[in-house]
Amino acid sequence: MKFYTVEIEARRELGAYTLISYRWPGEKVEPGRFVMARAAGYPVTLDPFLARPFSFYDFEDGVASLLFEVRGRGTALLDRATRTVEVTAPLGRGFEIDASAGRAALLGGGIGVAPLKILGRELSARGIDHDVFLGFLDAGTAAVADDFAGASVATMDGSAGTHGTVLDAAPDLLEYPVVYACGPNAMLAAVKDAAGPDGLRQLSVEERMGCGNGSCNGCVVPVDGGYVRSCVEGPVFRAEVLAW
Amino acid sequence: MVVRERVTGVDLSVEMCGITLSTPLVPASGTLAKEALGEVEGVYGAILPKTTTPAARAGNPPPRVAETPAGMVNSIGLQNPGVERFMEDLDAFDLGVPLFVSVAGETVRDFAALCERVSEDGRVAAVELNLSCPNVEHGGLTFCAGPAAVEEVVTACRAAAPTKPLFAKLTHEGVVGNARAAESAGADALTVMNTIPALTIDAKRRSVLVRGGLSGPAVKPVALKAVHDVARTVRVPVLGGGGVTSGTDVAEFMLAGATLVQVGTASFVRDPVEILAEFSDYLREAGMGAAELTGALR
Repeated sequence: MKFYTVEIEARRELGAYTLISYRWPGEKVEPGRFVMARAAGYPVTLDPFLARPFSFYDFEDGVASLLFEVRGRGTALLDRATRTVEVTAPLGRGFEIDASAGRAALLGGGIGVAPLKILGRELSARGIDHDVFLGFLDAGTAAVADDFAGASVATMDGSAGTHGTVLDAAPDLLEYPVVYACGPNAMLAAVKDAAGPDGLRQLSVEERMGCGNGSCNGCVVPVDGGYVRSCVEGPVFRAEVLAW
Repeated sequence: MVVRERVTGVDLSVEMCGITLSTPLVPASGTLAKEALGEVEGVYGAILPKTTTPAARAGNPPPRVAETPAGMVNSIGLQNPGVERFMEDLDAFDLGVPLFVSVAGETVRDFAALCERVSEDGRVAAVELNLSCPNVEHGGLTFCAGPAAVEEVVTACRAAAPTKPLFAKLTHEGVVGNARAAESAGADALTVMNTIPALTIDAKRRSVLVRGGLSGPAVKPVALKAVHDVARTVRVPVLGGGGVTSGTDVAEFMLAGATLVQVGTASFVRDPVEILAEFSDYLREAGMGAAELTGALR
């Protein structure tokens, strides 16, 4: 795991979410991979002590970005960071992309929309048709959808887009040979159910992590016969692998 | 190599139980996966993988980790593929430095069988007995519950592995009595200490979040005292650790009496190269070699 102190290039408020972009110092960034990030401390912050996992939101011309919502001490400190943040090397396994598979549906729930931005960019670059469906609690969190041209939006309180879950904003997922999703486990389980067993179905899980490099075994998800680490074997899994 | 450039001009080597180590740093068991080994070459004087058990263990259901001020609580449940698969994969941990293997069983017989199994392998330089992991219950207690329990399991392991260096890893509770018992039963060194039993609660959901072991800088003063107390009581060397986050922390543990120092949770948030480089700076300033530092409190 490589640790970097990176300069913040820009920050944007997207409704309830914040986007921080920074010059990426490491190796190739791929959709679905993540970094562990935290506010800089000397030599570490003690509270919170651990870094937080964040998917790459976007990557262009050497500048990477991460999207977050202030939920606790760690994200509050990130929100206040003005000059630098600490990030680790790109971690985990990202989305499999198969140009021959056909049309893709991208579904995001809440802050789980994050990896879909860079994924959509990659699919477009490869000429793969795709539709984007984003679900949120309310209009405040749904504001990030403005950054996803052509996306269909749903909110649980009906304050923006379709009233309901992300699945209420999407057509029959069985029609899509490829489905990608990221969001809370309950949403991913519902997507897995709705998308059926055929085709390429990939889910990016959001788990609490300790180390991010496979060492602590803290971020496991259930699979047949036990648990696997979402930081190394994931965070993107084929839907059929997850024992939900 | 980057590591070497940053530690020039100091003698970092130490010796313990007849084993020469290029640095006194060792990863604490369960905090360094084989996937992460490539990044730490040159930092650790020995490698110590996650505890292995007689059979595969799936581990505890999530949530397994919770963050706390200056630390974390974990309850992993010794997830591991079992000793046979672990030994098949042992070469993955070969960084050209001595390899210590951590074992845990549910019975004294388990422990002895594990010691016999791993010590017969020439690649294993020493065996650490995980007597204190608070996650694994044995009739409601751990093998570290008291001197009698420690003595029984160490005696059995000593008999099963008569020539291989054996380290007994102890929890801080009752550590002095347990250390005496382990030494008299034939342990070659003592690892002090394991995580501290702890609990986190999710107030919003009114539920227990994680009940497990606390690690990180929060436990450091407790660990330092345990190391200091043990080092003054026994003659065998001590592997000290608990919340080590900086080079100064390494020096403090050695001054308290540790011969080797384990780095665990901090490696999740800091490059351990930095810890070694800071420790080298300390030695350079003090005009001392690492081996001279053990117990060198004024």
